[in-house]
Amino acid sequence: MTNLRLRSSVLVTAAAMLAAFALLILAAPFHAEAQRKKVLNIAAKEPDTLDPHSSTLGQSQAIVRFMFRGLTRFAVKDGKVTTAEVEPDLAESWTTSADGTIWTFKLRKGVQFHKGFGEMTAEDVKFSFERQINKTPGTRYGVNLDVIKSIEVVNPHTVQIVLKAYDAIFLLRMVGYQQGYIVSKKAAEKHEQFKWSPIGTGPFYFERHSPREKIILKAFDKFAGGRPQIDEVHWFDVPEDSTKLIGLEKGTFDMLYPEAVTADFADQVKKMGMTIDRRGPGGQERFYINMTHKPFDDIRVRRAFMHAIDRKAIKETMYPGGLAKLASSCVPPGYFGHVPMTFPEHDPEKAKKLLAEAGHPNGFTVKPYFISKSFFYPKVLTLAQEQLKKVGITVEMQIVEHAVFHENIRKNLNPFVLYGGTRITDADPWLSLFFDSKEIPDGGANKGTNFAHYRNIDDLLHAGRVERDQKKRASIYAEAQKRMEKDLVCLPISDVPNQWARNQKRVTNPFDAEYGEYSLHYGNNYPELLKIN
Amino acid sequence: MFQYVLRRLLVAVPMLLGAMSIVFFAMRILPGDPCVAMMGDQATSAALADCTKHLGLHRPLAVQYADYIWRSVQLDFGTSLRQGYPVSEYIGRMFPHTLILVLAAAVVAALVGVPIGIISALQRRNPLVDYPLRIFALLGLSMPVFWLGILLLMFFSLRFDLFPLIGGGDLEGVMTMIRSGELFTYPGDFFAGVLDVLHHLTLPALALGFTLAATVSRLSRSAMLEVIGQDYIRTARAKGQVERMVVYKHALRNMLVPLLTIIGLFVAIALTGTVLTETVFTRPGLGKMLVDSINARDYPLAQGAITVFTMTIILVNLLVDMAYALADPRITYK
Repeated sequence: MTNLRLRSSVLVTAAAMLAAFALLILAAPFHAEAQRKKVLNIAAKEPDTLDPHSSTLGQSQAIVRFMFRGLTRFAVKDGKVTTAEVEPDLAESWTTSADGTIWTFKLRKGVQFHKGFGEMTAEDVKFSFERQINKTPGTRYGVNLDVIKSIEVVNPHTVQIVLKAYDAIFLLRMVGYQQGYIVSKKAAEKHEQFKWSPIGTGPFYFERHSPREKIILKAFDKFAGGRPQIDEVHWFDVPEDSTKLIGLEKGTFDMLYPEAVTADFADQVKKMGMTIDRRGPGGQERFYINMTHKPFDDIRVRRAFMHAIDRKAIKETMYPGGLAKLASSCVPPGYFGHVPMTFPEHDPEKAKKLLAEAGHPNGFTVKPYFISKSFFYPKVLTLAQEQLKKVGITVEMQIVEHAVFHENIRKNLNPFVLYGGTRITDADPWLSLFFDSKEIPDGGANKGTNFAHYRNIDDLLHAGRVERDQKKRASIYAEAQKRMEKDLVCLPISDVPNQWARNQKRVTNPFDAEYGEYSLHYGNNYPELLKIN
Repeated sequence: MFQYVLRRLLVAVPMLLGAMSIVFFAMRILPGDPCVAMMGDQATSAALADCTKHLGLHRPLAVQYADYIWRSVQLDFGTSLRQGYPVSEYIGRMFPHTLILVLAAAVVAALVGVPIGIISALQRRNPLVDYPLRIFALLGLSMPVFWLGILLLMFFSLRFDLFPLIGGGDLEGVMTMIRSGELFTYPGDFFAGVLDVLHHLTLPALALGFTLAATVSRLSRSAMLEVIGQDYIRTARAKGQVERMVVYKHALRNMLVPLLTIIGLFVAIALTGTVLTETVFTRPGLGKMLVDSINARDYPLAQGAITVFTMTIILVNLLVDMAYALADPRITYK
């Protein structure tokens, strides 16, 4: 008995010692090498592709800007990155024919592709655009290049692009963003899986992808703008915002690309003494009202809807203070052609009166109303639901997967559609997608995004596309916004900037944190300018 | 025995086929479309049509199904719709992470759960022992792994900086070294790599293991209670054997069979537990990959992951059944 007890106590002690020892060893930190190199650690979601012509997710578009460049880029003016102006990037200069349909780009000499894929030439430019125009599987932005008729290689450093018709935003299309990125022809033809062996001319090159863990990029010594100060970028796949925050505080991450910036998130970042970089115009959250769907075909009902919605309350609940701006137009600010619009003010009494006039004294019920379970959708809709209820419009929400939501709104199952998103920063592509009658979804093959079923500005859109005078173009789009204001087809709520959190003690950025840089999907137009202290 | 195993493996084929078919159709009945999920608000009608055609999703369902089964028979599970990696390669990279997590969690759960179950069974009349252990079991059952995980991270990773916040360590590197035989050339590097993997594994394994330990303790408690009531235990006591020896020599060994059943069950539970564990600890792995692939409607990837899950569970059950024969000489298979 004593013997046994002794033996077991020895055993227990030994086990405890072993456990303690194991813990000590396991807990020993392993980060000797990382300290010598300047590594930028970013926490975001995992990109689905690194092919710039097929990346649509925010994180994918953000990372490709580290590796790819276009013929032009958004101009830096007074220390700010602008929205509608461009300056030369891979193209040194350009000329255009008298009728504006022939563009001749002179390429910068000596621009190198990553990993020894040689100098960038006119062939690569031609290839980059043609692979999208020819709808190579996986590419998504060919539609933005539909204006191109043909591309001619004049000599290795000159490329001529002939357009089908004059295009006012052609230089914007050539910006290093989505369809504008130049990829290496040799690499894209050689690698079957270009999306995981991307070759561009940007400041960082792709080194390695450990799926569901991280992507490693390295500084490109021969980058045309000079080697970046940062040696490596480690892009971690971190889906949870709470984990990202712990990592920022702990120092595991230097920059975060959050799923959503809430007041709580911003507070925590501030408490840690870190910075939030806000870049406009970002995405706009807005309602489109289907003007062919009963009872919204009656303009009084649409007006009642708008009187019922308290835009300010929704914006302040979702994004208090500076987290977003109250939207001022159906064309977001920062887009060429934007003018402020006025919308029916919040007035539930007026709404009730209008509904009664329209034959709905007791209101009506929208059922079922499909809403995505992701992003801002369920939150904004719940707030709107409460406000609509007060005037007698009952919305019976059915929360569905994001993909189902997208499918259902294209089947016209919702009489009014909540939507978000970003496009090329000009009124033409924006209005063409959301208000051109060609984009009216018919529930079948046409899965367009004119959810309002609006047909009233087709003539203006056509006129705008051929107008060469920028002032006249601006007035055409101003007129379009005026018509939409009268027809009550859209109600924008918030203009939500693109926001990243940054440990500014470790990483510096030359642009002002508050809208010092313009961006669409990515947080940084110029990642090569980031520096690690 | 050999014949038995062969028979079981043959039975596994229709089971696997059934599971694969269910997943195939369930994924497609599920509303939502992989192209819409991929393109989001950028999806124009033309682009969607292109994408659907490119992925072969425009073909009739029966054709897609026949194609899927025919390819699977040839061990070709297709490529991920979203990321474009071959599914088998992708799963091959993810599975080791999940496997070591399940194994490590099993070790934790067994080391914690089994002794607690046994002690609480033996000491069931001693409230000072039984109640605290029962409370522990209840805590484990009611504490979700994501909550415990965040607590562990806040405490051991953020506050004391003892463990890494994310990742699974360089498991791929370690496995490459094993495959290439480099572990003998560079034992130092290999050892460091293994330690790194274990370093990353500790907190997730503890979190998953503890939540599972509660279930294990409840099950082993009842297993022990069953054994301790058997005739041979009474005989052993009647022989005048010391209680400790009765437990060690007679009860524990006979508990092995129910314990093995528990382990079989446990693997299935642990596999489902990896989904949340991998999310909280930001580890690569099959569990989280499965959920993400379902959300993205990445059909081939989801199908592949479920096939692997099904295979694992079938295999574990088979192994458990075989182990019965080893644990209990009275059990034989023909």
